[in-house]
Amino acid sequence: MARIPLLLAALLLPTTALALAPGDAMPAREVKMKNVDGRELTLASAAGAKGTLVIFTCNACPFVKAWQARIAAIGNEAVGQGVGVIAINSNDPKVVALDGYEEMQQRARELGLRFPYVVDATSEVARAFGATRTPEAFLFDADGKLVYHGAIDDNSQDAAAVEAHYLRDALAALIAGRPVALADTKALGCTIKFR
Amino acid sequence: MPNAIAAVLAALLLTVAPERVQLEPATAAQVLAAVRAAEAEVVVVNVWATWCIPCREEFPALLRLRRDYGGRGVALLLVSADLAADTAATRAFLAEQGVEFRTFLKAEKDQAFIDAFDRDWSGALPATFLYDRAGRRLASFLTPLTYEALEREVRAHLPPRAPAGG
Repeated sequence: MARIPLLLAALLLPTTALALAPGDAMPAREVKMKNVDGRELTLASAAGAKGTLVIFTCNACPFVKAWQARIAAIGNEAVGQGVGVIAINSNDPKVVALDGYEEMQQRARELGLRFPYVVDATSEVARAFGATRTPEAFLFDADGKLVYHGAIDDNSQDAAAVEAHYLRDALAALIAGRPVALADTKALGCTIKFR
Repeated sequence: MPNAIAAVLAALLLTVAPERVQLEPATAAQVLAAVRAAEAEVVVVNVWATWCIPCREEFPALLRLRRDYGGRGVALLLVSADLAADTAATRAFLAEQGVEFRTFLKAEKDQAFIDAFDRDWSGALPATFLYDRAGRRLASFLTPLTYEALEREVRAHLPPRAPAGG
């Protein structure tokens, strides 16, 4: 009997079961988030003509660090191809001090991001997406329907040893107007430190 | 102050030499084979990493569970998801925690590893899975657990205890 509350609690916690599924509409489109350039923007305002790439990320997670150069390269390239790109930090800086706004600005400069890196100040955008970890990518088509969710690629440890370029392949398919072959992938990552 | 001294003493008592730490590269299939080989009533598999703050925080609870219930048919299998390049840090943490038993280091691509434990697992750490003697998964906890929660879950799957002295 004592198990029931715990089981309920486990069911209520964010897992992939609650994450957006392919075909789902982009949620939280009008939530205002502060960009590293000081301006406020929304997912709706960041959308591109061909689609929108939303990446939940942060500053300190080792998996983000392992992937961040690839995320910057893929994102910068996608921006030039008509895809809106936005990186979101939903972590509570009270839990991870390195996830403060100034550190985000510094990181965006270092990586040469040509797309916004914004603060999800209440973590509500991550909750609406059912995002649980960093980095975690969500790619939407021009109509705002999810076409890809998951990892950047299949090898965080070694960029040179990647065999499956999940996100790149999904973007290429989206831009070419083809269906995305592999719409949902997974990778180990840090949990989002929800506010 | 007495608490600080007690903490230092406890740390000294727990610490083992890093070279005594057992950290075996393993796929999920190999971990699941070890689950069955454990021949325990309940096998707790915990996937953790040195860089994962909540993992480090729940670690002592897992070790306490092993101490308290090891004699009652509960086995603990720890699986580090640290990068291979961080093996020294992984060993150092296990040593500092006094872990002298066999543990594992993930040696497989993420997607296959994650799905072998639970298709509903997103890959976020920590993650804890309970198995029965035959290796059937009893429960998944995709969030950090307290000692009390762990104990409650494990006890729910243990056979009733024989009366003391009986």
